[in-house]
Amino acid sequence: MSSLSAKANAALPPRKSTLFWFRLRRSPLTLLGLFLLAMLLLLAVCAPLISPHDPTRINIVERFSPPSADHWFGTDEVGRDIFTRILYGARLSLGVGVAVVLSAGLVGTIIGAVSGYFGGRVDQIIMRMMDIVLAFPSLVLAMAVAAVLGPNLQNAMLAIAIIKIPVYVRLARAETLALREKLYVKAAATFGIKPWRIILRHIIPNAVSPVIIQVTLDIGDAILLVATLGFLGLGAQPPTPEWGAMISIGWKYLLDYWWYPTFPGLALFLASCGFNLIGDGIRDILDPKANR
Amino acid sequence: MKQIILKRLTMLVLVLLGVTLITFFLSHVIPGDPARMMVGQRASEETLQEVRRQLGLDQPVWVQYLTYMKGLFAGDFGNSIRTQQPVVHDLIAFFPATLELAITAFIIAIAIGIPLGVLSAVKKDTGWDHSSRFFSIAGISTPVFWSGLVGILIFYKFLGALPSSGRLDLTIPPPAKITGLYLLDSLITGNWAAFTNSLWHLILPAFTLAFAQLAIVTRQVRSSMLEVLGQEYIRTALANGIHGPVLLLRYALRNALIPTVTVVGLSFGSLLGGAVVTETIFSWPGMGKYVVDSIAFLDFPAMMGFTFVISFGYVVINLLVDLTYYTLDPQIKE
Repeated sequence: MSSLSAKANAALPPRKSTLFWFRLRRSPLTLLGLFLLAMLLLLAVCAPLISPHDPTRINIVERFSPPSADHWFGTDEVGRDIFTRILYGARLSLGVGVAVVLSAGLVGTIIGAVSGYFGGRVDQIIMRMMDIVLAFPSLVLAMAVAAVLGPNLQNAMLAIAIIKIPVYVRLARAETLALREKLYVKAAATFGIKPWRIILRHIIPNAVSPVIIQVTLDIGDAILLVATLGFLGLGAQPPTPEWGAMISIGWKYLLDYWWYPTFPGLALFLASCGFNLIGDGIRDILDPKANR
Repeated sequence: MKQIILKRLTMLVLVLLGVTLITFFLSHVIPGDPARMMVGQRASEETLQEVRRQLGLDQPVWVQYLTYMKGLFAGDFGNSIRTQQPVVHDLIAFFPATLELAITAFIIAIAIGIPLGVLSAVKKDTGWDHSSRFFSIAGISTPVFWSGLVGILIFYKFLGALPSSGRLDLTIPPPAKITGLYLLDSLITGNWAAFTNSLWHLILPAFTLAFAQLAIVTRQVRSSMLEVLGQEYIRTALANGIHGPVLLLRYALRNALIPTVTVVGLSFGSLLGGAVVTETIFSWPGMGKYVVDSIAFLDFPAMMGFTFVISFGYVVINLLVDLTYYTLDPQIKE
């Protein structure tokens, strides 16, 4: 009897979550991404516990000290500990990257759902507007917007959110077009439920999974963009311990004090790489059709 | 086919109009007072009003937009605040350097990316594949400014093998100007010293810029190769005894490259963006370095001129890419 039920069980398809973990374990690169990100998060959260230094304390005597036991990644032009600044910068970069992409994802999904649900002229206008935003190379538009709004971190975040929105609008719109024809949505409309309620309660929750994949894929890119604007002087301003802003000062000292721009860049690379590995992996796992 | 081209051209005009609307909005509407920015904080009220009148800022917004459009059609982006020259002249002067860098990077990305993608697809799930996938993810995760810095550190500082800045050594006079592309000009005029020297200067920035592009190309080629290799006509070809390079290149790659064209075209946008950063790091005298230098001076005419020209180029490139796509794919013929 018991062996019979075991056989029956074995024939059942595995549950979705089991399959997810199984595929995850088979994907070494995704695991590497998870590991990288977990490390960075840990370092960011525990920054004050890990480093005895203050990220903003100036100590001219120790300026440009090479990496040593006391200053693992050396010090900068006013003697601040670069390792400590990278730790605090991790809080900033990870937080900003996630915040920017989440807000772009939220706004874009709502616009896309509205556009797809109502169709007609609203849809036409919204989609043409998105085409126009997509007509700009993303970094170039972000630079222009950030420069016009004024160079600081908030405006850089806003600029990056703006260039990220169209992708989400397109994704959510495509999903909505399919969902709009579903019986339960039509039934809801027949019952006289108001359109905004249908969009919020019935469309968006069902359109969200491609959006989530895109979010994970975009965070790494957003972190890079924030840092690039910082590097160009259009994002966080020194002395904020933002990785891009640190490099924007540090690269001028590259040839004499190589550690100054090198380590913040390495942190940036690892953070972005972590998110990209995870995003890539999750896409493969959730969408085995993609056959990558 | 004609219909498609016509439709795309109409779209092109609409999108370009939209681009002008955005650049106009960014340069004329959002900044509180461009006149004040031009004359500085200490200028008198009369000067301010005079500048405002000269710039047409006392006119209604739609009149300002029409004036702005008239200027664009005449190729007038205003004068740069930093160089005091017409922005158009500046951009034309800096354009060849950017073009030379972008084209070289593009060629590198394709020449390495396609074979790498094919290799990765053929050796799926082996060490080759894993390392090529890691390599391509690393490519899109590396900030361009950082890979440039690391390149300078290794190849200039430690190995002393490559120069770190500019297009030519100071001791070498630039070749006679024909196209403005040093490699081409020096080749045409038979100026070997300038040719080798400019090639030498091009290597590091071009590879830096190509790195991210390379990743995108590799990824796309890999995934479309995998898709094509799973199709029946490939199996049939295999059953007929076709194998090896003939199968891979003549049967599979030709079809796998069709979707790659689109992705590569789109990635040209990030190439242009990346050029801004690469040129800054390598003191490459192109449009990107020009615009970054303008940022510090809040030189809006220069920045908007650059934004417009780059976006214009990007839109046109994408149109060409789409049209190539239609001609390449025989299935798209209504």
